[in-house]
Amino acid sequence: MHWQRAGFSNVGFSKIRLSKTGSSGLWPWLCAACVALSLLMLVSLLTLLAIRGLGHFWPASLEEVTLNSGDIVIGQPVRETALPNGAGTERLYFTGNQEVTGNNWQWIAIDEISQQSEPADLIRVARTPWGDFIGRLVAVESGELRLTQHAAWAFIHEALTLPVSQRPPGILLLATADGRTLRQPLASVTHFQSPNAMSWGQKTIAWGQRIWQFLSEGPRAANTGGGVWPAIFGTVLMVILMSVIVTPFGVLAAIYLNEIAHQNRLTRLVRISVRNLAGVPSIVYGVFGLGVFVYGIGGSIDSWFFSDKLPSPTFGTGGLLWASLTLALLTLPVVIVATEEGLARIPDAQREGAVALGATRLEMLTRVVLPMATPAMLTGVILAVARAAGEVAPLMLVGVAKLAPQMPVDGEFPYLHLERKFMHLGYHLFDTAFHGEDVQAAIPLVFATALLLVLIVLLLNLTAIFLRHYLRRQRGNEC
Amino acid sequence: MTPPRLPFSRQPLRHVQDRLATGLITAGGIGVLLAILAISVFLIWETLPLLAIGDTFSLAKLSPLAWGTLKAALAAMLFATPIALGAAMYSALFMSARLRSRLKPTLELMEAVPGVVIGFIAGLLLAPWVERHLASTLMMIIWLPLSAALAGYLWYRTAASVRQRLPLSWAGLWFVPWLAGMAVLAMWLAPIIEQHWLGGDLRRLLDQRYGLDYATRNALIVGIAMGFAVIPSIYSLAEDALADVPPTLMEGAQALGASRWQALWKVALPTAGPGVFSAVMIGAGRAVGETMIVLMASGNTALFSASPFEGLRSLSASIAIELPEASPGGMTYHLLILAALALFIFTFMVNTLAEIVRQHLRRRYQRLGSTL
Repeated sequence: MHWQRAGFSNVGFSKIRLSKTGSSGLWPWLCAACVALSLLMLVSLLTLLAIRGLGHFWPASLEEVTLNSGDIVIGQPVRETALPNGAGTERLYFTGNQEVTGNNWQWIAIDEISQQSEPADLIRVARTPWGDFIGRLVAVESGELRLTQHAAWAFIHEALTLPVSQRPPGILLLATADGRTLRQPLASVTHFQSPNAMSWGQKTIAWGQRIWQFLSEGPRAANTGGGVWPAIFGTVLMVILMSVIVTPFGVLAAIYLNEIAHQNRLTRLVRISVRNLAGVPSIVYGVFGLGVFVYGIGGSIDSWFFSDKLPSPTFGTGGLLWASLTLALLTLPVVIVATEEGLARIPDAQREGAVALGATRLEMLTRVVLPMATPAMLTGVILAVARAAGEVAPLMLVGVAKLAPQMPVDGEFPYLHLERKFMHLGYHLFDTAFHGEDVQAAIPLVFATALLLVLIVLLLNLTAIFLRHYLRRQRGNEC
Repeated sequence: MTPPRLPFSRQPLRHVQDRLATGLITAGGIGVLLAILAISVFLIWETLPLLAIGDTFSLAKLSPLAWGTLKAALAAMLFATPIALGAAMYSALFMSARLRSRLKPTLELMEAVPGVVIGFIAGLLLAPWVERHLASTLMMIIWLPLSAALAGYLWYRTAASVRQRLPLSWAGLWFVPWLAGMAVLAMWLAPIIEQHWLGGDLRRLLDQRYGLDYATRNALIVGIAMGFAVIPSIYSLAEDALADVPPTLMEGAQALGASRWQALWKVALPTAGPGVFSAVMIGAGRAVGETMIVLMASGNTALFSASPFEGLRSLSASIAIELPEASPGGMTYHLLILAALALFIFTFMVNTLAEIVRQHLRRRYQRLGSTL
């Protein structure tokens, strides 16, 4: 009893001593900082994407600025930077009116501004050939009719709800900041807005509408306006085709490896190499797809069936089919590994029970084993889809296009055109951000595209995580 | 597994079906596996013509690209390894279990962020920002670890009530605002320091005194961006290895008087060493093969330069840029396929090594778990 107590106090003493001098030292804190830093980076990346991606659609107020020189500039303030050598700051304005000024942007030093206001009659018009117009509305001419003020606004808003072909003929008389007038046919206007006169409620509605337009329209004005619908469509179609190809083959290979092949050194080796193929760079798969599918198989198909169209290739160039096949090959290891894990978790007793009751192997597989492994397979396919949706590098080799003239699905026989090139969200992002004409104007849309892509991929991954969680819990109850 | 041989039955149709299905599955399975393995066959086959030509001059074209790949991977690993391993050690051994069950999937989600998004942020936002605020960036790299140590020091000095409110096991979370604040502080302090001690412009100073050029998109940017992409894969695997160390070992060490950090450093790390090593290897494999980030953040200038402030061009980026334009059968085509083969062999070897090491480790844990 006595030594026990002594021992206790000893332990207590050493514990106090340790924490006083902090013999764990500062290292654990550095490690904790590593976790915090990773979290901080992830959170700031997502926040940045969300703010810049969604903020772009908010109807930003327009400013009318009078300079010391007497010039007047109307535009949307974008950002400010410090001038070199501490000479104050300058502000970037988006002024639009590219066909008049030749430039969408203007830098103005803060010191040069003599007056600054936000008049309610400033408007912003989105048009098809030239991008945005920013200025004032003078009048609307429709046949003999000439409308001004509120009548004009009501006329325009009503006309814009109609599709282009049903709109009444009309011409907008617009005035720029420096007093020049423009005649804009109503048919080429896609959007008309007076952000300074809008209330919060109206702005929120307009914001929702513009997000919807972004999701449902095609790109226009050299990717600086419009939406990404063809890219969404292309991505989804390619991913669907890919999963239709990869699921049966991946499951087949996994069943063979786990249920039929003899478990020996060779199967172990094959298993390791399948697992490793998941780590092979995606660009290598792209090279394989280009060399074998496009040039090899595609070239042969062309010379056999489409020789009348040569030398312009039909299947001998990148297209939807080859892209899906390449990505299916790329994601095959993911599906095989996930399915195999699911199969390996099923207790042997289940199989033996089925066989003991007289089932053949096929019956055992289809009625007992596969139903139990379904969540694992589903997890594998979702992970594969998530990987494929975010993958761009191999697609650059096997059939993605910066602007596909035709959608891969249309009303023409055979409806699904596997040989056509298609648009992809990830590649659209890359192309707009790095090869666009006016990158500055396109960046907000690139942010929105990036946000959309990240959301799709994260959503798919979260689904896979929850499925796996559900699967584990279910197994836990069974075992 | 194979079911035992069935007794004779009078339902031949079922058995025919069974045979047929087994045959089909076997054929399909072997076919799929062969198709996967065909990748290596194709790559080797298409590089054979290069041997016939035997032109060493054109091979020399690949060497700056190989150098660029290694430089980019090295920069990424320098950034990612300490952070990922530190995070793994903390979350395996110090973090509270409840926080860990939430935080680990979150950090693993980082892996899902597509490379093209990271590359876009790095190339179009981070690169110009770092160019304008080079001093702030470098200062942050030095100051953030120091500020973490400072936080630890302050924590030991504060009252016990505060320490209970902000325990070490939750530090991964409450450090986030602290680090954000310290980053802002560094950004605010850096221009002042630059003004007073570095003559106003760090970039000009680097240029004049050390002859270092500064390219907007450079190895530093690639390192940060690709490091971000690689951190989750290293973290996840290393954390698994550390968390699976049999708890009896750690308890034994602590019972003998070791502090938690000593137990980690002297017992857990040597035991889990192979697993941690294989995690780093897999991260390196990923860094070598990553295409979009390097393509968008590196400037794609094929240079032989060790400077972290100059651009680079990697094998994978060259393939992505040049292969669509190369005519099949031409010299460039075969050279680029050789580049792809090099990437394939490198990553395959690295991954195989990591996998073998991991299997050994698993067996070791089983042994340790059963004897102790």
